[in-house]
Amino acid sequence: MSEHVTDWLNAYHDGELTERQRKRVEAHLAECASCRAELEQLRFLSAALRESPLPSDFLPPELFVAQVGLQLPRRPEGPAPRKALWVAWRLTPLVLLGALVFLQTVLLVTGLTRVAVGLGLGGETAATLLPVRTGGLWQAVQLNLILPGVIALLYLSWLASWWSRRQQQENRS
Amino acid sequence: MPEDNTELDLIIQAQQGDRQAFGELVRRHRAGVVNVVYRMSGDANLAEDAAQEAFIRAWQHLPSYRPRSPFRNWLYRIANNAALDALRREKETVNIDDLPLADPGELPEATLEGKQQAEFVQEAVLALPPASRAVLILREYEGLSYKEIAETLDIPLGTVMSRLNYARKRMLEMLTPHLEGVR
Repeated sequence: MSEHVTDWLNAYHDGELTERQRKRVEAHLAECASCRAELEQLRFLSAALRESPLPSDFLPPELFVAQVGLQLPRRPEGPAPRKALWVAWRLTPLVLLGALVFLQTVLLVTGLTRVAVGLGLGGETAATLLPVRTGGLWQAVQLNLILPGVIALLYLSWLASWWSRRQQQENRS
Repeated sequence: MPEDNTELDLIIQAQQGDRQAFGELVRRHRAGVVNVVYRMSGDANLAEDAAQEAFIRAWQHLPSYRPRSPFRNWLYRIANNAALDALRREKETVNIDDLPLADPGELPEATLEGKQQAEFVQEAVLALPPASRAVLILREYEGLSYKEIAETLDIPLGTVMSRLNYARKRMLEMLTPHLEGVR
C-alpha cells in the first residue's frame, strides 16, 4: 500500500489539488480504508457546518440597508478616482513595455540592415530603407541609452507608486 | 462578465460619493457579511451591529479600494476585523465567562446534552482560536478558495492550509463524541 495521504486530504476535499496530486490521492484512497474514513469525516464536518442555520431574527435586508445608509458619514474619505484614469493607470506598464520593445526592435532591425548593407548584401533597396545619419554619436546615445533609460525610469516610478498605494490601502483596511 | 462590470460601476459611483450605489452594494453583500460576522461572533445582536459597522468602514475606505482583488474579499476582510473588534469590546464590558469563546477546550458534556446538532457545531466553531475560525468560516460558509482566503486575511497560503487543518482537526475532536455520523 502507498504512503498515507493525510496531509493532502483537506486540500483534496476542498478541490485545491492539481490534477496529478488528485489522481495520486484517489489511487491511494481506493486501497486505504483509514484515509477513506478520514475523508468521510471531513465531508461530514462540512455538511454539519453548512446545516447550522443563521438566526431568523436578523433585520430584513431593506431595513438593514436603510440603517446602514442613515449611519454613513457625508462623503467617503479622500478623492474618488475616475474610471478612465484608473484604466490608464493599470495600462501604464503595458504601454511602457510596448514602447521599449518597439524601440529595441527598430534599433535591432536598423543595426542588422546596416551590417547587411556594409557587407554588400541587399543592394540599393536595403540602403534606401535606412534612415539618414544626422546626429552621429549623440543620436546613437539618445536612441540606445537615454530613451530606454527614460522608459525604465518611468516604469520604476510607476512600480514605486503602485507599491506605496498598496501599502497605504493595506494599512487602511 | 456583465455582472462584474455592473458591480465595478457601482463601486466607482460609490467611490464618488453616490449613496444609492453603495446601498445597492450593501444589499448585494449583506447576507455574506452578516454570515461572516455571525459565525465569527456567535451572537445575533453583536453580529448585526458588527455587520453595519463593517459597511460603514467600507464606505469610509472605499476611495482606497482597487479592483485588483474581488470587492467581496475586500469586504470580508473588513467584516472579519469588525467582528473581532466587536468581540474585544464585548469582552471588556461583559464577564468573560459569559462569552461563547471563553473556553477553547473540549465542549462540556452537560452543555451538549439536549441541544441540537447545529448548536453543538456553532459552539465548537466559537471555541476555535479566532485566526483558525476566520479561515474555517471563509472556506466552509463562503466557499472562498485558499488563495482568496490568503488575500482576504493577508496571510501566506501555507498558513491558510495549516490553520484550516488545525480548525477541522479540533472541530472533529470536539464533535466526534457527540454527533452521529462522525466516527
